[in-house]
Amino acid sequence: MPHATFSLRTLPPLLIVALVGLPVLAAIYAGLTAGDGATWDHILQNRLVPYTLTTLLVLLLSAIIMLGLAVPTAWLISQYEFPGRRIFGWAMILPLAMPGYVMAYAWADMMGVAGPIQSYIRDITGLSARDYWFPNLFSAPGLAFVLASTLFPYVYITARAAFSMQSLSTLEAARSLGAQPLELFWRVAIPVALPTILGGLCLALMEAAADYGAADFLGIQTLGVGIIRSWQSFGEPNTAARLALTLILIAGCFLIAARVFQGRRGTQETSVRWRTPTRSKLPPVVAIAVTALCSLILLICFVAPVSRLLWLAFETNANAPDLWPLVRSTLLLGVMGAALAFIAALVFSLSSKRSETLRLATRLIAAAGYAAPGAVLGLGALFILRETGQALSGWVAIGFLVWIYVSRFTSAGVEPIQASLARLPKNLDLAAQSLGSTGLRQFMRVDLPLIAPGAFAAALILFVEILKELPATLMLRPFGWDTLAVRAHAYATDERLAQATLPSLLIVLAGLAPVLLLSWRLGKSERS
Amino acid sequence: MSTRTPLIADQVSRSFAGRHAVNAISLELEPGKITSLIGQSGSGKTTLLRLFAGMERPDSGRVLSGETVLSGPRTHIPIESRKIGLVFQDFALFPHLSVRENVAFGLRHLHKSERGSCADVWIDKLGLAHRRDAFPHQLSGGEQQRTAIARALAPEPVAILLDEPFSGLDPAMRDQVREAALAAVREAGIPSLLVTHDANEALVHSDKIAIIDQGEILQTGVPETVYNQPVSAKAASALGPLHTLSRSDLPPDWQQMINGTDTYVHYRPEALQIAGGSGFRVVQQKLAGAVSEIELDFGGSQTLFAMCQIGSSLQPGTEIGVSINPALFFDFAPKSV
Repeated sequence: MPHATFSLRTLPPLLIVALVGLPVLAAIYAGLTAGDGATWDHILQNRLVPYTLTTLLVLLLSAIIMLGLAVPTAWLISQYEFPGRRIFGWAMILPLAMPGYVMAYAWADMMGVAGPIQSYIRDITGLSARDYWFPNLFSAPGLAFVLASTLFPYVYITARAAFSMQSLSTLEAARSLGAQPLELFWRVAIPVALPTILGGLCLALMEAAADYGAADFLGIQTLGVGIIRSWQSFGEPNTAARLALTLILIAGCFLIAARVFQGRRGTQETSVRWRTPTRSKLPPVVAIAVTALCSLILLICFVAPVSRLLWLAFETNANAPDLWPLVRSTLLLGVMGAALAFIAALVFSLSSKRSETLRLATRLIAAAGYAAPGAVLGLGALFILRETGQALSGWVAIGFLVWIYVSRFTSAGVEPIQASLARLPKNLDLAAQSLGSTGLRQFMRVDLPLIAPGAFAAALILFVEILKELPATLMLRPFGWDTLAVRAHAYATDERLAQATLPSLLIVLAGLAPVLLLSWRLGKSERS
Repeated sequence: MSTRTPLIADQVSRSFAGRHAVNAISLELEPGKITSLIGQSGSGKTTLLRLFAGMERPDSGRVLSGETVLSGPRTHIPIESRKIGLVFQDFALFPHLSVRENVAFGLRHLHKSERGSCADVWIDKLGLAHRRDAFPHQLSGGEQQRTAIARALAPEPVAILLDEPFSGLDPAMRDQVREAALAAVREAGIPSLLVTHDANEALVHSDKIAIIDQGEILQTGVPETVYNQPVSAKAASALGPLHTLSRSDLPPDWQQMINGTDTYVHYRPEALQIAGGSGFRVVQQKLAGAVSEIELDFGGSQTLFAMCQIGSSLQPGTEIGVSINPALFFDFAPKSV
């Protein structure tokens, strides 16, 4: 291959870098230059400080809840044998299929004064609603609970991986030196796995910071909510820009921290896996307690909310909204966004094989889009629209919305494609070239068939992520292009929860596809 | 000091998925002696080590420390209560702890102030004083190895089990590390088991060798005996190259010299030495370190292999004479070799 620093081949990736990066850069630029309008003092005191503090509080609480849910279950499932262990092994990631806002609707309904839990309490105690205290979901801890219960599988997956990557003999060495089971956990397993677990936690927190729907529904003033309110309700674009800048800083910090943690692992994982781990059998009473604990977590984070939504949907089918227009626009936007993001991800992945500089640039830009919450990117798009004098309507709006999808989710598609590329032998390219296959021909005959499974996963993930996306869609969609997510949110915030259930359930159903694919892979990698 | 009692496997068996990994094995590890367990991969040597350590529970049979039953039909003392030191092939050091903290890990029975000094004794003994505060990933393979041995010996275990501890090391440094490490093990005066697939390692460094194959012990004894008086072709080939010939194909004078009546004879290649005379034609000669491996042809169709030191290279086709050491010709019932 010629040593050209700039050739036609580097053009497509550079174009895509620009395409993906522009909305983030626009949002950052707007945040840095926002000056006039509302005074800085006002923004700082009435908006920035309270919104930021609330966001950080929610993130802190959800970090604690996620670690509490994910780490012990990951440890128990990887080390011990108990009834249902195999099922819990993959079922623990099912909550990922629930967007935070859907989880919020379901739990708000269940925990409401007229909901099943409080009704039951009143039935058995004979008290009236004013006589007892009941936790309020419409609070910062409530939001933290909702976000943690959908996002803890990120931590669970990394913790599982960390525990199983640990040299098995390290644990056996510790036991031979007299370490009892609990000591094993605290003195060896946790310290060794900590960097990996924190890496997963940071990614989960980045997702939590990107939430808009759950916080808006529960009425919690997080930065994500603040951005959209400042733009739409207060008419303060400068405030929105400042909030967006703060939010992207927070999310960016989590992403960087996650990468740092991921880089720190692998100090001693080269060990020979000389046999599949023999899981210790727990005493019957403890085993039942562990099974009960895992069941309870799964019940709270998946089974109960989904069942409640199903029940609501069937109980109140009289008022079912006409779903067809929603499904149609969701599908259209999803397919357009996923197709473009997929192409972008493919170009990124393939170009990173060719040039180190290009790889760095693409990774950086893709990561920036990944870290930037939908609300921030939506705001970036609105600023670009304003600067270019375009109106937010019709195909322009759709074009911008699809653009934002590409910007936000390309990196989600890059990961599975690169993972399958990384598995290919290094000299495969050279082998193909020595046999006279180059360029597109080589790609079609060699690369594509080999990365097909990863590419399929990437396309599926992209489609589902776009389908679940709420804030950017809410900000940019043209008239008549409500998606399932947008309408569900509108019904829910309008206190018409019954109508929100069907679109919500459809979103969960779609979300299950990539999650099941992932859990199938987890199960396979565990067996091999 | 810990009480020095032998570690004993008494008729232990363990199967995985219906296959006997260890089949009714009895083996005694004597205190102060290094017993090598040699066998190919899949022969059951690691399973036997895991049964001794308590990482596996035997299906039948017992594991004893002196008179104390560690594993038996009704008892199974878990690994954390056995006080048996383990050294793994991958060393299994705790990556988050320094050398000193690794070595002190098993010293919780000591007061905090004593742990450090006790760990230091072992660190010094294994020549790691300058690496005290280093972390495992900063250590060379040999240093990791010695840290693992110091860590296993520091709590004064009742026995130490080493699972192919030297196979991960660079050959150039292996001898040096092995010497220092095994000296410390021997000095501890406890039963020690060295699992290996390296015949040389077993022959040079152990007091006793046990040959394991397909879950059964073929032969045990001191290295010289096991090498020079193998009980079967399989046992013989576990410790060095072995060749087989039909007795009737041997030169008549050799047939007289070699005891036994079996149809086949087996010999170690060093049983053949080059001597004056003729009758043997050199097919090829390969240099194998200090000695040469020579393929010889005699009687037109028979092939012999000799391993000996020769002064100069032999051209293919050269006729030479050969003398033999009949002690290194063995006579067993023919088994697959």
